[in-house]
Amino acid sequence: MTGAVVWLERTSTGVAGASREAVGVARSIAGGGPVVGLLVGAGGPSAAERIPVDRLLLVDAPGLADASSAQLAALLAAAAAASGADSMVLAGTARGRDVVGRLAVRWGAAAATNVTDLVAGGSGELHVTRPVFGGRASETLELPGPRRILAPRPHAFAEPPPASAAPPSEALVLPDGFSALPGRGMEGFEPTVGSKGPELGEASIVVSGGRGLRTPESFHLVEELAESLGAAVGASRAVTDAGWRPSSYQVGQTGRAVSPQLYIAVGISGAIQHIVGMVSSRVIVAINSDAQAPIFKVADYGIVGDLFPILPALTAEIRRQRGLTGSAPG
Amino acid sequence: MEIAVLVKPVPDAETRLRPDPAGKGLDPEGVKWVLAGYDESAVEQALLLKESAPGTTVRAISYGPAVRADEVLRAAIALGCDRATSVEAPAGVADDPLVTAAALHLALSRFPASLVLCGKQTGDHESGLVGPAVAELLAVPEYGVAVNVRLDAGGAEMTLQQSVEGGLLRLRAKLPALVALQQAWNDPRTAKLPNILKSRKAPIDRVPAADVAAAVAARLPLATRRLAFRLPPPRTGAKMIEYKTPEEAAQKLVRILREKAKVFP
Repeated sequence: MTGAVVWLERTSTGVAGASREAVGVARSIAGGGPVVGLLVGAGGPSAAERIPVDRLLLVDAPGLADASSAQLAALLAAAAAASGADSMVLAGTARGRDVVGRLAVRWGAAAATNVTDLVAGGSGELHVTRPVFGGRASETLELPGPRRILAPRPHAFAEPPPASAAPPSEALVLPDGFSALPGRGMEGFEPTVGSKGPELGEASIVVSGGRGLRTPESFHLVEELAESLGAAVGASRAVTDAGWRPSSYQVGQTGRAVSPQLYIAVGISGAIQHIVGMVSSRVIVAINSDAQAPIFKVADYGIVGDLFPILPALTAEIRRQRGLTGSAPG
Repeated sequence: MEIAVLVKPVPDAETRLRPDPAGKGLDPEGVKWVLAGYDESAVEQALLLKESAPGTTVRAISYGPAVRADEVLRAAIALGCDRATSVEAPAGVADDPLVTAAALHLALSRFPASLVLCGKQTGDHESGLVGPAVAELLAVPEYGVAVNVRLDAGGAEMTLQQSVEGGLLRLRAKLPALVALQQAWNDPRTAKLPNILKSRKAPIDRVPAADVAAAVAARLPLATRRLAFRLPPPRTGAKMIEYKTPEEAAQKLVRILREKAKVFP
């Protein structure tokens, strides 16, 4: 294994956290070869100036800010050809995984998504572990070489420390036939109504509320707790089915699967359909009035009691510890 | 117009997962294979499109051991799909999403469709690779995490939405294309008993294992090999925080998150 290319997925605020984690993964499988970042979209290398890659390849084209997976797959294959890399790492975001499927065909590589652990052996073998069946089991796969593509699961790997200096960068020459590839055909974007704070799938802390809150009016207690932690807000199916919050909030088998560093379940009893969507979180805290609730079987820490005094007390304590005053954190 | 919907037999959600004796895969003993989750949403989308555009036929295509594939194809027919193709997995072939994509591509070359639908992933291996890989093999665009697909008059174009981080993207796209659907947004219908009975006798087209073996041969050297399949260690249950006042509970929890779990921001 020598050299790896990482797609540095852009967000409105720079390079996605999951892509920075991907840089660390690339380093561990590059076999001492260079780690090359590919940055696609409008603007120069400034978005990636502290990313610890050895070299940046740029496709500075405003029209490609919303490139299709076919276009991204073609650019990544060109970046690998330009750098001689035989591995690629893409953050396991919705877009990243779509690109991996196309790229595995186009580039002729073994591929694995949702990777949470890996072992790169000295003689070039690569074993990865990934959760399957909604976290109810896991598998270890061997990826044959020479070409391999990995999509690490967001938050499964630590972000490497930032670089002290900006990496050298150069423009990537567009591959032959690139202009014939279809774009994405985007017409517009409708932001999720009422969503504040980080996005569910990306957040390192998620606070979810369930039926234990009793009324839609008390759901703000969950949102205030989330805000004090800089966390994303989720909900159980009971809450979204009742229309307290839109279905985009739902964590579970029929909603979003999340795997944050910290998951706090508030007033959620822990139906199996909810459990499979959050059980692979690193640390789980449950707060519930029913000591027999199944959520306590999967939680690491539990508080049994009445939510209504506990939540404001917890929010206040967190704010105090974080030095936050009355107003919302930036 | 022809719509194809790719469906995969997965273990019923109630299945108690168990590794096989070698510890390298799921023990198939006693597993009930069903059409589930994302694939139900894909079938529902196909049927909604069929109902909106007269003259549309929906073909369900499934790859796997024939017994399991037939089971989910009959379920798809009972729901309202018109035709079914069973793509027979060669015995002992690698269980890899890119091999699956090559097999499904063979089926789609024999039973072409202008719109291919599938779930954005399946509830078992959750790779999310099969749809995009099939699209690349077909040389058509793919649209992942999709909801609300609508065909325009004539079926040459469609509109759809993609549920991405922070909201919904609205897209207009030309056919042919592949769309990988989000789960549980369209409240999939359930089959009626007479249709379930009728589906037992429905004809199923077959792509024989020998043809599949030839079609996937080039991909096999790149297939991943499963070395282990395990269940997580059983969670021992939560450590309960003892407290007298809500404030004390809050202070104890924050201290644990900061000092023991080290997840306090």
